[in-house]
Amino acid sequence: MTSALISAIKRLHISVVPQIRVFSSNAVSVSSLDQNTLSITKKDWAFKPQYTKPREVWIENIDTIEEQKLGLFELHPLVYAASPRIDIIHQNVIWQKKIRFVSWAHTKTRAEVRGGGRKPWPQKGLGRARHGSIRSPLFRGGGVAHGPRSGKTHFFMLPFHLRLNGLTTTLSAKLAQDDLHIVKDLILPTDNPEYLNDLIEKRNWGPSVLLVDDTDYAPRNITVATDSIPHVNIIPVYGLNVFSMLKHDTLVLTQAAAERIEERLLKWLNADTRRQQQAYKLNQV
Amino acid sequence: MTAGVRHNVSFETNNIVLIALVAILYSLFKMATVLRSQCAFARLFAGKTVQILNNSTDLGAKLGPGSQSVLSRKYSNYAHSPFVTKIKEQYDYEIVKKPAEWAFVERLLPFETIPAVSPKESYPSGWIPPKEEAANLPYFIARTKNHEVPIYLEITYRGMRKITKIRKIEGDIWLLNDEIKSYLKEKNNRYVETRVHEIGRFIETKGDYVHDLMQWAYSKGF
Amino acid sequence: MGSRQITEKSLSMLRSLPRISLQNIRDNPNSKLKNKRGRAQHGGDKHGAGNKGSGQRQNFMRLGYETGNNPFYLRIPQEHYYRGHHLRREYPPLTLHELQRIIDKDCVDTSKPIDIASLIKSGFYNFQPDLKQFGINLTDEGADIFAAKINIEVQWASEQVIAAVERNGGVITTAYYDPHSLLLLKNPKKFFESGQAIPRRMIPPSDLIEYYTSAKSRGYLADPEEISKERLKLAQKYGYTLPDIEKDSDYKMMSERKDPRQIFYGLEPGWVVNLKDECILKPKDQELLSFFNS
Repeated sequence: MTSALISAIKRLHISVVPQIRVFSSNAVSVSSLDQNTLSITKKDWAFKPQYTKPREVWIENIDTIEEQKLGLFELHPLVYAASPRIDIIHQNVIWQKKIRFVSWAHTKTRAEVRGGGRKPWPQKGLGRARHGSIRSPLFRGGGVAHGPRSGKTHFFMLPFHLRLNGLTTTLSAKLAQDDLHIVKDLILPTDNPEYLNDLIEKRNWGPSVLLVDDTDYAPRNITVATDSIPHVNIIPVYGLNVFSMLKHDTLVLTQAAAERIEERLLKWLNADTRRQQQAYKLNQV
Repeated sequence: MTAGVRHNVSFETNNIVLIALVAILYSLFKMATVLRSQCAFARLFAGKTVQILNNSTDLGAKLGPGSQSVLSRKYSNYAHSPFVTKIKEQYDYEIVKKPAEWAFVERLLPFETIPAVSPKESYPSGWIPPKEEAANLPYFIARTKNHEVPIYLEITYRGMRKITKIRKIEGDIWLLNDEIKSYLKEKNNRYVETRVHEIGRFIETKGDYVHDLMQWAYSKGF
Repeated sequence: MGSRQITEKSLSMLRSLPRISLQNIRDNPNSKLKNKRGRAQHGGDKHGAGNKGSGQRQNFMRLGYETGNNPFYLRIPQEHYYRGHHLRREYPPLTLHELQRIIDKDCVDTSKPIDIASLIKSGFYNFQPDLKQFGINLTDEGADIFAAKINIEVQWASEQVIAAVERNGGVITTAYYDPHSLLLLKNPKKFFESGQAIPRRMIPPSDLIEYYTSAKSRGYLADPEEISKERLKLAQKYGYTLPDIEKDSDYKMMSERKDPRQIFYGLEPGWVVNLKDECILKPKDQELLSFFNS
C-alpha cells in the first residue's frame, strides 16, 4: 500500500520532502508516529539506469532499538542489482587470501646440506655409479632438488574489472538476500555494547554485522560499542572488500556511504580503464 | 596581452616580424641546442636555482680565505656529495592563486569518465545513437561505456573458427535467442547455431554475422 | 515477465537459497587446470629437450649460428635504400573519419582549438614520442563525409585534408613539436605533477623548416597573407566556395594560434603549474623572463 502511494507521488514528480504518515504493518508506538516524515528524494542520476529498474531501500534509524523507517532511497541497478556471479566472488575471495599468504616451508639444496664437498669414491674402477657428492638429490639425506624455498609470496593482482565486478556482485547478492541495510547515520544514544547487541537481536540482523561509514572517523559511541564486540566491525568506504562482506552476515551502510560507493563504482564502470588494466599485468616486456 | 594565447596571431600580422623570425631561425637553432641542455640542468632543481654551497658552509663553519671553490669539486657521486640544506631562492616569482588561465590547465587534464554523447541532428561518421523505445522490449542490449553496440567477432584456430558474440544482454535472453536465430535464418537461408550463456549474459553465434546482427540491433534501437 | 529476465531471475533465486558465505562459493567447473607433472612418455620423459647434444645439455649455440656455414645475418649485405631508417621521423596517421567520430562522440571540444593534447585526451589517438614519432598525420580517408567546423593543429596534412577542413569553414595549421614537448603534451598531468617549469617549444630542424614556413602546407611559421592566398587557390582547385571566416561568429576562436615557442594553449613557458593548490607560479625575474620569452 505504501509502495502504491510512493509510486503515485513519484508520478507527480514531487522533489520536495513531504510530510506523510507511514502506516507500516509493524506495530509502531504512538510517540514515534509524531516524528514520522517520509523523505522521498527523486535521484538525479549521473548515469541513468537503462533497462534494469533501480532498487529501492528503506533508510532506517539506529538511535532506537526498534526499527523506524525514515525514508526511501534509490540505488543504481548496475551496482546493487548486478548479475550475481558466484565465480567472480570466489575469485575475489581467493585473491584476497592469496595476496597475504607467505609460505614459510623451506628445504635445503645440495649446496646447503652439511657435508658433501668431497667426491665419495673415484670415478672409475669400482663398478659403482659415478657421484660427485653425497648430498646430491639422488642420495638419502641429500638436498632437495626443486623444493620449497622460504618466504614464497603468492602475490598477484586480479584483473581490474574482476575486482570491480566482485564488489558490485557481492553488494547485489547482499541486497537480494535482505542482508543489506541503509542507515541514516551511526549516532548511537549510548556507548553500551548491550544496546548494539539488543538492536541486532531485535531487528534480526545476522550475528556479525559490518558497518560501513563514509569517513574514517566515527562518532564516539559507536566506536566504543563496536570495540568490545568482536563480530561487529566498522570500516570506511575505502575498506570495502568482498571477503569482509561475506564474512559478516549483515552489511549496514550509512546513506552517505551507499552514495559514495555507488559514485565510485559507477565512475570506474564508465571511465577509461586502460591504465588500470595494464598495471600489474604479468609477462609485460 | 590577452589572458589566453601569448600572441594572437591573426591574419593581419606584420610581414616583417615573421621574415625576421625566419631569418634568425638558423642562428636560434644553434643556440637552442645549447640552451636546451642548460634547461635540463636547471630542471633538476625544479625551476628554483640552488645556491650550491661548498663543504665548509654546509657544516656551519665560516668561509675561510683558502676555501675551495664550488666548481673544483665535482658532486657527481651521491655518496660523496653533501645534502642540500639551504636553498636560497635567487629568482623572484609570484604565486597566482585561482588564475584566469586555470581553464586552460583543466582542459589538459584527462577525463574523469567517458563523456556522454549529446544529441545532434546527424552523425556524419556513421555512429547511430540508441533509442529510448528500446527499453520497452522484453530484452535489452546495453551499450558499452564507449557508446558502441557490444557485438564482436572472435576468430580462432587460424581463421577457421569465427564466432559472433553479443554481450551485455538483459531481460529475456531466450526470447532474444529465438528472434536472432529466426532473423539470421531468414537473411542467410541457413540454420545458424547459437549458444546462450545466461550467467555470462551473452549469446554466441557460429559464423560471422556481425554486420547482420548490428543492423538488427540498430533497427531495434539498441 | 520478471521470471524470464535473467538478472531478476538470478537475484530472486538468491532469496530462497542459503546466504552466500565464504563456505558455499566456488569457481566455475573446469576453469582451473590441474597442475600435471611432466611424467612418462607423453607427459615428460625428456621434457622437450630431445636427445644428447647442446639442446638436452642446455648448452646452446649462439643465436643465429648455423653450425659453421655462413649465417643469414652475415650473408645478406647492407642495402643503401634503408640507410638511416632508424633516424627517420614517423607521423602515425589519424583519418578524417576517425576525427569525425571523435567529434560526433563529444570526446573533443569543438568550441575550442584542437591540438594533439586534446586528441590524446579523447582516447582515440595515441603515439610514442620515444619511437621517433613526431605527431599526427591527418589523412584524407573520410574527407568526403567530414563535416565539422574546427580549428585544428596537426603535424602533417596533405592537400586534400586541408581542403576538407577549410571547405567546412574550419582552420587547419601544421606545427612542429620537438620530442620533449610531445612527451609533455601526451601526459600533461604527469608533467604538472613533476613541478617543472613549462619549457619553450624548439624550432624545427633544418629539413623541416621549409615545410613549416610554406603557406601551402599551412605551416605555423608561414606568412598569414600567403596562407589566405593559398586558401583561395585551394578552394578554386577543389571547387568549393571559400567560407568567409572573418564574418564568422567564431572568428576569434578560429584565428587562435599558439606562439611558435608555446607548448600548451594559454600557458606560457616558464610557468610552474601547481595542480594540488590550484595556482600557477610565474617568474618575475628579468633574466628568467627574457629567457623564457625568447
